[in-house]
Amino acid sequence: MRADEDQLREWMIGGLDGNAADHTRLLAAIVPILTAFFRRRMNEGADVEDMVQDTLIAVHTRRETYDRDRAFTPWLFSIARYKMIDNFRRNRRTVPIEGLEEILVSEGFEDAVSARVDIESLLSQIPEKQARLIRATRLGGSSIADVSAAESLGISDVKVSVHRGIKALAAKVGKTR
Amino acid sequence: MNTQDLIDTLGRDVRPVPRHAVERKIALALILGIIGSTVLIVATLGIRRDLGAAMGEADFWIKWLYTASLAIVAAGLTFRLARPEPARFARWWLAVPVVVLALIGIAELAAAPPSHWLAMWLGRTASKCPFLVLGLSIPILGALLWSMRRLAPTRLAAAGAAAGLTAGAFAATVYCLHCPESSAVFVLTWYSLGIAFATGVGALLGPRFLRW
Repeated sequence: MRADEDQLREWMIGGLDGNAADHTRLLAAIVPILTAFFRRRMNEGADVEDMVQDTLIAVHTRRETYDRDRAFTPWLFSIARYKMIDNFRRNRRTVPIEGLEEILVSEGFEDAVSARVDIESLLSQIPEKQARLIRATRLGGSSIADVSAAESLGISDVKVSVHRGIKALAAKVGKTR
Repeated sequence: MNTQDLIDTLGRDVRPVPRHAVERKIALALILGIIGSTVLIVATLGIRRDLGAAMGEADFWIKWLYTASLAIVAAGLTFRLARPEPARFARWWLAVPVVVLALIGIAELAAAPPSHWLAMWLGRTASKCPFLVLGLSIPILGALLWSMRRLAPTRLAAAGAAAGLTAGAFAATVYCLHCPESSAVFVLTWYSLGIAFATGVGALLGPRFLRW
């Protein structure tokens, strides 16, 4: 299971305060995240493990540049993106044009991550059941039928909860504007 | 090396990091650079002999406040660009000292007869002032780049330019100890030109020296 923003941030801050166990947990937890990040953006032939290790070292040696008051994942992805662009620059001759396009596309990725963080904070403000079902159906991508089976709830119950939750979220967003 | 082994190795070296570690490092570099540039000015150009008297005049403090306020805003920009994911920064703050000094300059020109304008603008040192500011910025820019390369700037040209701007503005602040000029239009033109040179040098050096 993937650790979420709050968990990662807690471990990061623990590491900054000198807790080695937290720091090790953090590094282990970001390996799958980074692997997915590079796999999605780099060519078939790219050495993803090498990139992940490079980024782990950067996260470790540059950890003092993390600001405890800000979100962790955007910081992590900025480092990963920098390492990827630096890698492209180093191997400029062998990089096909597609690689560059992917960098341009990935520019929107950070926004998506920030949006995700915002959604999590909104979800925490609505009833737990609605939030859980929205996470499963709308963010996790499971079907209504699967979720109703997994949660042993009626299909209409799931539908109604998701619908009410979305409405509540829309109202919250309207209020904060 | 296996990724798990790497993690175990890195996990053995976990020193606590103080809050605002980035700001502390850059501030330390700035202090060292400013000391370097002050030593440079004392050793080469010398301090103006009438410094004590000049410090009683408003001109001196207008000049000094212009360069010092620019330096402080630029340092704020440098702090941010030394991090991988810079926080938003209202760059137009940089324009505030420039606009204020321009208004003072216009008021000074309006109060003087047009026949004096050229002399006020060029002073006696216009041709060397920008280069002296650039020269004095070298110790500060060197120290800033050296400290930033161990941090994590991701926009290298912008980070280099911010370091250059900071170095140039602090160098101009130090240069006030020597410079005998007093008109606001002089400072606005030639000091700013020197600061702009330093910014340009920083922008060129950034992508080469700040890579990590």
